[in-house]
Amino acid sequence: MQGPSINFKNVGLNLGNTQVLEDVSFSISPATIHCIIGANGGGKTSLIRAMLGQMPHTGEIEINWGENRTVGYVPQHLEFDKTLPVSVIDFLTMATQRRPVFLGQSRQRRQQITELLEKFGLSDKRNDKLGSLSGGERQRAVFVQAFMPAPSLLVLDEPMTGLDVAGGLMLLNVVRQFATDGGTVVWINHDITQVNEVADQLTYVNKTIMLDGAPGEVLQSGTAQKLFPTLLFSDLHAGTSNTAAEALQS
Amino acid sequence: MNAFYEVLRELFTEAAYSGSINYMFSYEFVINGFLCALIVGPLLGAIGTMVVIKRMAFFSQAVGNAALTGVAIGVILGESYTAPYVSMFSFCILFGLLLNFTRNRTKMSSDTLIGVFLSISLAIGATALLFVSAKINTHILDTVMFGSILTVNNLDMNVLLVTAVITAAVALPLYNKMLLASLNPNLAHVRGVNVHLLEYVFVLLITILTVACVKIVGAVLVEALLLIPAAAARNLNTSIRGFVLWSVIFSTFSCIFGVYAPMAYDLPIPSGGAIILTAAIIFLITMLIRMAMPRFREASI
Repeated sequence: MQGPSINFKNVGLNLGNTQVLEDVSFSISPATIHCIIGANGGGKTSLIRAMLGQMPHTGEIEINWGENRTVGYVPQHLEFDKTLPVSVIDFLTMATQRRPVFLGQSRQRRQQITELLEKFGLSDKRNDKLGSLSGGERQRAVFVQAFMPAPSLLVLDEPMTGLDVAGGLMLLNVVRQFATDGGTVVWINHDITQVNEVADQLTYVNKTIMLDGAPGEVLQSGTAQKLFPTLLFSDLHAGTSNTAAEALQS
Repeated sequence: MNAFYEVLRELFTEAAYSGSINYMFSYEFVINGFLCALIVGPLLGAIGTMVVIKRMAFFSQAVGNAALTGVAIGVILGESYTAPYVSMFSFCILFGLLLNFTRNRTKMSSDTLIGVFLSISLAIGATALLFVSAKINTHILDTVMFGSILTVNNLDMNVLLVTAVITAAVALPLYNKMLLASLNPNLAHVRGVNVHLLEYVFVLLITILTVACVKIVGAVLVEALLLIPAAAARNLNTSIRGFVLWSVIFSTFSCIFGVYAPMAYDLPIPSGGAIILTAAIIFLITMLIRMAMPRFREASI
C-alpha cells in the first residue's frame, strides 16, 4: 500500500468574519502517523475539513495520491438519532454498498463485514441497534466503515474520545499497523502523551502553525514548554509516561 | 396505458359477475380505487421510512398545503379544476426547491423555515381562492383537501404511475446514500456522496409524490400516510430491513382496507379518512406492543 503525501501551502480560512486559519504551511509524509494537536477552537477540525474539501479555504492543499485514492474517515462523534432502527450491519452496509440496505448484503460484502467486525471485536454486536451501543463500541463500528474499502489515507478526528483502555489500545494497534503497511494517518489528538508515543510527526495548530516536526524534537522546544506548562517533559523524553499499554498491564 | 386499464377492469368485472370476487368489483371506480391503493401503499410506505429518518414529516405536510394553492392558481390560469396538475406540480416544486435553497443558505432550522413558507403559501392560496370562488364551487376543493379515491380517472392513474416509476427509479439506487447523508453528512461527503444534491433530489421526490397522491389520499392526509405506517414500523423494529418491510405492509394494508371497508361495511367514511384511520389504529397497536415488550425498553429520559 502506498499512502499519499499531503502539502498544505499558505492555507487560510475565514468563516463569518472570523479568521479560523492563517498562513498554514506544512507537509504530511506517506506511511506516517501525523498528529494535529492544538487548543479548542484552534482550527484543527477546520483544517481537516478543508483537506477533505468541505471548507472553502484559500491557499493550496495538494494530495499526491498513489493508485488507491480511498479515504477512511472517523469523525469525533457519530451524531444521529439514537432511536433509529439502524443496526450495526445496516450502518456498514449503507456506507459501502449501492444495493438498498433493506435488500440485504451481497455474499462478498457480508464476508468482508464479518471479518472486519471480528477484527474490531464487534462480532456479537452485528445485529444490535447502532444507537444502543456504548460510545466506545459505536466508535469501533465507525472504524470498521473507515476500512471498507481498504483506504490509503486514514483521517481520524479525536477517535479515542470515550474509549476504555482496552478499546483504545486495540484501535491504536490497528492504526499503527496501517501506517506500518504504508498508509498515511492524519490524526487530530488531544492526548499529548499518546501523541508522543505514536506520532511520527506532530503539528500544533492555533490559527497558524505553532509547532511542526517529530515529537521527540518539538516537545523539547521552548514553545512547547510554554504551550504545555503542566507536562512533565523529562518523562516524555525518557519515555516513562503512563501509556495506555502500561495502564492495561497494571 | 389506458388499454391496459381497460383489460384489467374487464377481468375484474367478469370475475365479479361470475361471483368469484366481491360484487363491488363490477364497478369501474372501485377497480380504479384498488389499483391506486396498490401503487400508493407500497410507495408511500417505503419513502415514508426516509421521511421519518430525515425528520421531514412537516415538509410533506407543507407541500400538501401548497398543492391547495397550486389548484387555486391553476383554476385562475384556466386549467381544469378536477385535475390542475401543471399548476400543482409547478407551484409545489417551486415551493420545495425554494425552501431547500433557503435552508441551505441560511442554515435556519427546518421547522422554522417550513413554518414561514407554509404561511406564505397559505396566504397566497387564500387570496387566490377569493378569485376562484367566483369561477367554481369551492366545495370542489374538498376533493383536494381530503382526496377522492373513487373519482380517479385514467389521467390520475397515469400521473400516479409515472410518478411512482420515477420515484422508485431514483430513490432505490440512492437510498443508502440518502440514509448515510442523514446519519452523518461529513462522513457521507468523505465517502463521495453529494449531500446537497441528494437533499434537493429528496425534496423533489417528496414533492412530486405528494402532488400525485393528492387526488387519492388528499392534500391534508398524504403526510399522514407517509408518516404513520413508518412510525408504526419503527415501533417494532431494530433494523432497516424490518423497518422498510413493515412500513410497506402497514401502508399497503391501510390503503386497501381503507378503500374496501367503507364500501363492504357500508360505513359513511370517505376513503382518505378510512385509510388514515386504519393506519392510526395500526400505529396504536404497535405502540402498545412496544410498551409491553421488554426488548424495546429504553432509557426513559
